[in-house]
Amino acid sequence: MALTEPQSRNLNLLASSPQLPSVKACCHTTTDAGAGPEAPVVALVGAPNTGKSTLFNALTGARVTMGNWPGTTVEVSRGVWKATRSAASCTCAECTCDPDEKRLELTLIDLPGAYSLDPHSPDEDLTRELLVGVPVAERPDLCVVACDASRLANSLYLVAQLREQGVAMLVALTMLDVAAKRGVQIDTVALSAALGCPVIGIDPRRRAGLEALAGAVGEALGEAAPTPRRRPDTSDELELDDDRFGWIAAAVEAGTSAPSEQPRTWSDRVDRWVTAPVLGPLIFLGVMWMVFQITTVVAAPLQDLLDGLFTGPVSAGATWLLGAIGLGGTWVEGLVVDGLIAGVGMLLTFVPLMTLMFVLLALLEDSGYLARAAVVADRLMRSIGLPGRAFLPLIVGFGCNVPAISATRILPGARQRVLTALLVPFTSCTARLTVFVMLGTIFFGEYAGTAVFVMYVISIHLVVLAGLVLRRTLWRTMGTEPLIIDLPAYQRPTLRLTASVAWLRLKGFLQTASGIIVATVAAVWLLQSIPVQAGEAFGEVPVQDSVYGVAAQAVAPVFAPAGFGSWETASTLAVGFVAKEAVISSWAQTYAVADPDGGAPGALGTAVLNSFTESSGGHPVPAALAFMVFLLAYTPCVATVAAQWREIGPRWTLFGIGMQLVTAWVLAVAVFQVGRLFW
Amino acid sequence: MSAGPLSLVLAEVEAGTPTLTQMARNCGLDEEVVRAAVEHLVRAGRIETRELSVGCPPSGCGGCPLAAEGEGCGRPDVLQGRRPGLVLLSLARRVA
Repeated sequence: MALTEPQSRNLNLLASSPQLPSVKACCHTTTDAGAGPEAPVVALVGAPNTGKSTLFNALTGARVTMGNWPGTTVEVSRGVWKATRSAASCTCAECTCDPDEKRLELTLIDLPGAYSLDPHSPDEDLTRELLVGVPVAERPDLCVVACDASRLANSLYLVAQLREQGVAMLVALTMLDVAAKRGVQIDTVALSAALGCPVIGIDPRRRAGLEALAGAVGEALGEAAPTPRRRPDTSDELELDDDRFGWIAAAVEAGTSAPSEQPRTWSDRVDRWVTAPVLGPLIFLGVMWMVFQITTVVAAPLQDLLDGLFTGPVSAGATWLLGAIGLGGTWVEGLVVDGLIAGVGMLLTFVPLMTLMFVLLALLEDSGYLARAAVVADRLMRSIGLPGRAFLPLIVGFGCNVPAISATRILPGARQRVLTALLVPFTSCTARLTVFVMLGTIFFGEYAGTAVFVMYVISIHLVVLAGLVLRRTLWRTMGTEPLIIDLPAYQRPTLRLTASVAWLRLKGFLQTASGIIVATVAAVWLLQSIPVQAGEAFGEVPVQDSVYGVAAQAVAPVFAPAGFGSWETASTLAVGFVAKEAVISSWAQTYAVADPDGGAPGALGTAVLNSFTESSGGHPVPAALAFMVFLLAYTPCVATVAAQWREIGPRWTLFGIGMQLVTAWVLAVAVFQVGRLFW
Repeated sequence: MSAGPLSLVLAEVEAGTPTLTQMARNCGLDEEVVRAAVEHLVRAGRIETRELSVGCPPSGCGGCPLAAEGEGCGRPDVLQGRRPGLVLLSLARRVA
């Protein structure tokens, strides 16, 4: 067999490479041992992760980086491919040498990974330049395009473009085993006919198919370059790409065979249910109910244990220690025992609960379920005319409102950003969760989990209703943004990842909360220590006569129609404006200062229950529910306000605060007034 | 002339088809072709992708990847070893 004269001997970018031995291009050519300037140059091209580098290593034995990371092949590698063709692949009519020793020595260059000839990176630019940018005489003699059989369509775009250029080429098909596992069989003959170039199935990791590849390369080098594939006479990019993808789709259809009925994976079967229009939301609600139920039921004993620890030994120890150093009965004891230990200690009792919550959410996320929940949420958003993409910041809002406000930046329109930023505060963040759990435990006992779940349902309804009202009043002309979600397959959650994500979130919660708690405890303590009337000493004034108590008493009547018009409760709402994490600590602080001897485990719950019973005229349950609704709907925290200020400006921020306060008050009053008829 | 695979996929995105599987069914295309088409449209800048995270970042809320590109949950050190998660694709506005 006579080979055509190699066209390229001096690729500019390879000029500095070490000189290689002289050519031995066919079993009839020189007996020189190595490839040299006359050796045919074969370029190995393909998209990243198609096994191109592995193939290069298998063919040349060169020590180059192998890996799965996109873009590993960042520089041109060159090697000598001492190919041994199988006897059957030699078509030389006058061959006299031993068929088993038919050797083919080539210069093999490994070009940077490229999806296409449309460069999006310097690597791709280089590949394009070497394949079609330089004069024909300087181009490789043959291109071997590595294509991933398991992602065939993705690999074929480059093939389509090379075929349009009339480049001499063949396709080396890798990952056939992966494709087979997915039930996809490749017919290389049919695929070859569809692509208009030879197709060879190989497995470079097991060095399988390399002789057949060598044979095909030898044959291709001896043939003229194929006629370029015709493309539409247009300069429209989309039309050109559409034509290529039409060609790709036809090749995939011709060259691959999948079972007539695609095997439904269990993931597909589960998805049919969990993303169904009606059942999907119900399943989502059921899952979230279980999360809250498990959280509250399992964490409750641990919470009680920690409560007993802080109200008992820790407080007693601190009191004893302060007494021993002569600070007993002073304002320092008040600050440390009734302030820091009562406030911070109360927050720490929620650590088991938050840990469990974060673990469960991490499990849902890692398993892939939350992705399905996002599909359900997106569908809901669009069905009521809200921008589909808005679901994302809103979902983030259930973790923390502040990043959710920042996340509104993903929305393309200013109106959508403002609308979503106004809705985010209605999503129930984890800081509010602690208060809900506490009140749920006090007022609803074993149904605490359900009570918390109901608050989340109310939260979702608030978002939807407020969104609808705003859309129908302020932003009637706002368009919707389409989106699709690529659902990852379900997977078994890993312990490492779940633990890591849960720990990171718990740490973040504690870091944020502890800083806020200590600061607000100090501020509340200061306000509770300053007497309003002359003649009373700093730090020795009854709370109700302090600046804190008097201010709270002035505000409290506003909440009387909602059933929680006591000053102790009203004051926590003011503290809650700073951060919801501080609501419980300020409560604990207020009752600890008011009744320093009442620090028994569960004493705070009793005090809160008595307060609600008194302020509601004997209807504590609807009053507590109304308080929870108010807490849910009014301004989440100053950090959220600051984020809104930054993202949507002062005017809309103030509008939002007003809207939240009005909504919260109206809903709380409605809940109490209706609820008192039943409870 | 009938629309090609890319045009069909773009139309599905615009129509709000939520998953690639459903898109493939609607278009009568192999799902792998649809996936390749979407990836190509992403590379061509006609569709935007964004990895989603449902929780908030531990390092503070301002570092959320949804708020700042390349930071927060999306930081490589946080994502290291993480499995592929939820990816949102949306139609990009292109200047002709």
